[in-house]
Amino acid sequence: MTEYLVSVLTEGAIFGIMALGLNVIWGWSGDFDLAYYGYIAVGAYMTLVLTIGPPMAPAQYILGETLPYPLAVVIAVGTAMAVALIVGSIALRHLRGIYFSIVTLGAVYVIYVIAGQFVPLVDGYNGLSGLFDPMGDWFGLDYQTYQYFFMGLSLAVFVVVFLFMWRVSGSRFGMALRTMREDERASAAFGRDIYRLKLKGYVLGAALGGLAGALFAAYLSAFNPSAWSPVEIIVLYSAVLVGGRGNIWGVALGVLIMGLLVQESTRFLPRLPGLGELDAVHPQFLLAMRGVIIGLVLVLFLRFRPQGLLPERRFVDREPLPAAVAVETRTA
Amino acid sequence: MVTLGFGIVTASILALSAVAFTLQYGVTNVANVAHGEILTVGAYAAYLVHQRTGSAIAAALAAAVAGGLAALAMYSSVIGPFIRYGASPTVIFIATLGVSFVIQNVLVIFFGAANVAYNLDPGAPRNVGPFLLTPLDEEIVASAAAITIALFLIISRTKFGKALRAVSQNRELARVTGINATRVAAATFVLAGLIAGYAGFILAESVGTFSPYFGFGFFLITLTAAVAGGLGSAIGTLAGAVIVGVILQVVPALPVPFVGGYVSASYNLAIAFAILALVILIRPRGLFTNARRTVFE
Repeated sequence: MTEYLVSVLTEGAIFGIMALGLNVIWGWSGDFDLAYYGYIAVGAYMTLVLTIGPPMAPAQYILGETLPYPLAVVIAVGTAMAVALIVGSIALRHLRGIYFSIVTLGAVYVIYVIAGQFVPLVDGYNGLSGLFDPMGDWFGLDYQTYQYFFMGLSLAVFVVVFLFMWRVSGSRFGMALRTMREDERASAAFGRDIYRLKLKGYVLGAALGGLAGALFAAYLSAFNPSAWSPVEIIVLYSAVLVGGRGNIWGVALGVLIMGLLVQESTRFLPRLPGLGELDAVHPQFLLAMRGVIIGLVLVLFLRFRPQGLLPERRFVDREPLPAAVAVETRTA
Repeated sequence: MVTLGFGIVTASILALSAVAFTLQYGVTNVANVAHGEILTVGAYAAYLVHQRTGSAIAAALAAAVAGGLAALAMYSSVIGPFIRYGASPTVIFIATLGVSFVIQNVLVIFFGAANVAYNLDPGAPRNVGPFLLTPLDEEIVASAAAITIALFLIISRTKFGKALRAVSQNRELARVTGINATRVAAATFVLAGLIAGYAGFILAESVGTFSPYFGFGFFLITLTAAVAGGLGSAIGTLAGAVIVGVILQVVPALPVPFVGGYVSASYNLAIAFAILALVILIRPRGLFTNARRTVFE
């Protein structure tokens, strides 16, 4: 039971960092970015090639360094930001709405196909493995205690990221992103450089994605194309949507709800009459059931509660209006 | 020339899928991401019926009917209600992505995630003009051409086609003149679903295998063709499909230095998206259109 709790909390913290990063891009900037999972993957792959050492005979991959884990994480985050800068500078310049989404979908599939097919890069479909208990031997931790240590580390990183996002949320930058989302033209009229602002938000979001990917790689101790798929991004989007797009408390709540829903709902399903046999028939049953639930939640929330459970707070000017303006607005 | 022969087969399947997609886009102004799942549903229906009856014609009909029903269900349960509720095209885009996810997983629940082998006897290949085609290839190309011609006759000659064009060009104006836009859109989805379902059937038999995810992969290429030709423009989409289909078959056959002269067909998606990104950045309205949205010009 404790083991289960530890793994849920660790996964939840990593998932939460991913969702907070996505919230910058979708919640504040308002762009439906489908390439986001690519940045998580870049972070994970980079962390591995920087820590697991040179490749052994049939395996081949780039770099193959044995850097200390924290340094590898920093470089991995930097790489994810660099990739996001390239994709973002192409996609954000003129494209909005579904055209932006389509181009980012293209970008993530290019990353996915290259990671999976171009063997010299990250060993193609076999992927990378061999990052065991990073930083464990610094403190002389055995396997059991290490699980607690890593849970603590993930939660600590999540809390730091959350506090940072809290600051960003109320900062001029965070406000500027929101204004832009609401009305790009008005925002530009007030002197905002839309392209640079959007690009900044995009790269910041991708940095969190890369960070979460680096933790994910250490948690799984391996990463390969079957560990991720561009379509998985739907899970993150549903978490952000259910909690409340744009509100970091909402995002945290969404991660909690979707995490619990995904973990627990499928646990009870096989006991329903008629479904018990199917579970025995093939192993993907539970995973597929999870997918159906997530997809339905996404569609239903979009239709009936697009603002989420904890909606973003609207900033209302509570000071009374000057008399003349008040009269004007009343008659308008 | 062999490669080009395959290119023609891919292009004709792609043409059906892309035209069906562009028709849906035309009447609703919404990109239906779950379009690929219509093909998948068609392929499964064809496979099941083929197993029971052993008749390829019955399988083709089943694929078309299943595709039509799937498309109608998508329109009446998700896309239509979202449009009436006033959701933005991006929100509906996200919703149809959710629908696509649901359908893929429902298919996994019932049929498993593994590839299903679906092989018809292709017959001995022979030279047709400059191309080397099997009789199966010929049937695929001929049926795709026949369906395309029939579709264009429907769009250009019938009253329904006229209504379809009117709704595509200006939904509000069409409604003012007494056209029931919702009904026209639903009928268009059924028509597009019939075509896409059949496209799923011929795609499955030309590839030889399919899985719950196979339509989504092909949708990404469909999207490239439709955007390259100009979203909403049926003629442009046809041309886009032929160009993309041929490029996808020719480019992987070219020697590429860094992979040692061999490029896996899996790079298709990456190539398709490179084309797509270029087209969107350089000519976002498509290669052949100047107007904003046109279905038949």
